[in-house]
Amino acid sequence: MTSLAAPEAPPGSPPRTVRSRHVGRWVWAALVVVLVVWALRSVALNPAFGWGTVAQYLFTTAVLHGLATTLLLTVATTVLGFLLGIGLAAMRLSGNPVLSSVSWGYVWLFRSTPLLVQLLFWYNIGALYPKLSLGIPFGPTFFSIDSVNLVSVLVAALLGLILHEAAYAAEIVRGGILSVDAGQSEAAVSLGMTRARVLRRIVLPQAMRSIIPATGNMVIGTLKGTSIVSVIAVTDLLYSVQTIYDRTYEIIPLLLVATVWYVILTSILSVGQYYVERYYARGAERTLPPTPLQRLRRSFR
Amino acid sequence: MSLLEIRGLTKAFNGVTVLDGVDLDVEAGSVTVLVGPSGSGKSTLLRCINHLETPDAGTIAVDGSLVAYRRDGDLLRELPERAIAPQRRRIGMVFQQFQLFGHMTALANVIEAPVGVLGVPRREAIERGRALLARVGLEGREDAYPRQLSGGQQQRVAIARALAMEPTLMLFDEPTSALDPALVGEVLEVLRDLAAGGTTMVVVTHEIAFARDVADTVVVLGDGRIEHSGPPAEVLDDRSVRVA
Repeated sequence: MTSLAAPEAPPGSPPRTVRSRHVGRWVWAALVVVLVVWALRSVALNPAFGWGTVAQYLFTTAVLHGLATTLLLTVATTVLGFLLGIGLAAMRLSGNPVLSSVSWGYVWLFRSTPLLVQLLFWYNIGALYPKLSLGIPFGPTFFSIDSVNLVSVLVAALLGLILHEAAYAAEIVRGGILSVDAGQSEAAVSLGMTRARVLRRIVLPQAMRSIIPATGNMVIGTLKGTSIVSVIAVTDLLYSVQTIYDRTYEIIPLLLVATVWYVILTSILSVGQYYVERYYARGAERTLPPTPLQRLRRSFR
Repeated sequence: MSLLEIRGLTKAFNGVTVLDGVDLDVEAGSVTVLVGPSGSGKSTLLRCINHLETPDAGTIAVDGSLVAYRRDGDLLRELPERAIAPQRRRIGMVFQQFQLFGHMTALANVIEAPVGVLGVPRREAIERGRALLARVGLEGREDAYPRQLSGGQQQRVAIARALAMEPTLMLFDEPTSALDPALVGEVLEVLRDLAAGGTTMVVVTHEIAFARDVADTVVVLGDGRIEHSGPPAEVLDDRSVRVA
């Protein structure tokens, strides 16, 4: 007679489990580590990278000035672009067919043309509208000014970036608003809130959860995207290092200077995004995940 | 004059008639339970009362004044949003899916509208909010987010939130239909308590036992019309009545 029982275990204690060995994992890990070390070593030791030169220029006034311009462009573009985007999203979702269509048309137009082309248009605005005036449409004019005086390269860059950003921000915000259950608005309206209040207090805070990751992408994209303004001679980070290497021919080290700054800024933004996301996760998860700092502290306790 | 007076209420969705000339009176302090098979127009009727649905014809008056419309000869002209909002403050609504604001704690849900809409001082609103949460049996859960509460607890917060506006009329749209059977009792208990306290209520529900116990009037809807209406004993014991 054969026994169906499992192999004998010592009486009293249940058999212990042993995890399977992942031999393949170790092999692949070793291979990849070797490749990464090899690549890092070549970057560090190849004199053409000119790390000494990089260190020398990293904190020069011209570079820091360019960095400040890049930051200004990024912040202004993000803040104003998103304010305009929220307005466009509200128009698109409103019951007014004219506002809705105009919003759709705006997004269509600004997403249909390359940012570079839009920037060149703003740069050359003086050729399209030599004079800009303030007044009532089809009515009297209060004052007017030559375009070239008002639209400096920086203003042209800001206009181009903001209007382009707004089109994308509108879609991000609209997507976020649509992700909130319509029942939430009904409940709020039933309490006697006005539409504007419902949007501000109930819908937008909950929409933030899906708006933030896409916005994080946008901000980082914008930060790097601002480098495109160097084509219209705005002295941003990239243009500043270009000006230097045009003189010294140390092209690679100076591009690395810009690269290092871009990496530092995007890293800061990524960390910021993590914490903003965590803030808006209130109520959406039963318990908030620990922050990396909290995790670190816990492992040392 | 009844607190709620509905006359000739008619509503169609894409050519399908959902409400077909409904007349209904609800007296102050009474409990009216709407029953009937699904698709009979119960929820639509309830949602018309606070203008979440736009009726095609007919009048709804609460406390003698038309909700969301003004009379203009033979026509009813819809009021602007800002004129409807104050009317809705007097009509509390509890939804099948609770619809608590997910980004706010239980207490914040309850005080949001009193503070933001009525302008009640925050301190006073918090005090009253705590009392209301205690009244629905949720003392100590003020700081919990909706996701941290059971369905029954969420629905009780939703009831407290509606009560915080001190409405003259409370509407309940299938308040227990989304709950596990084990949690239905705790919500019905709160409804019983409100009824005993004299709150005017219109309740859409499939809980026939609740209707029998608590209702002053049971109204049976079928195909958009009121088929029967009367005291629960009379309506629910009539074998010819199709209640669910």
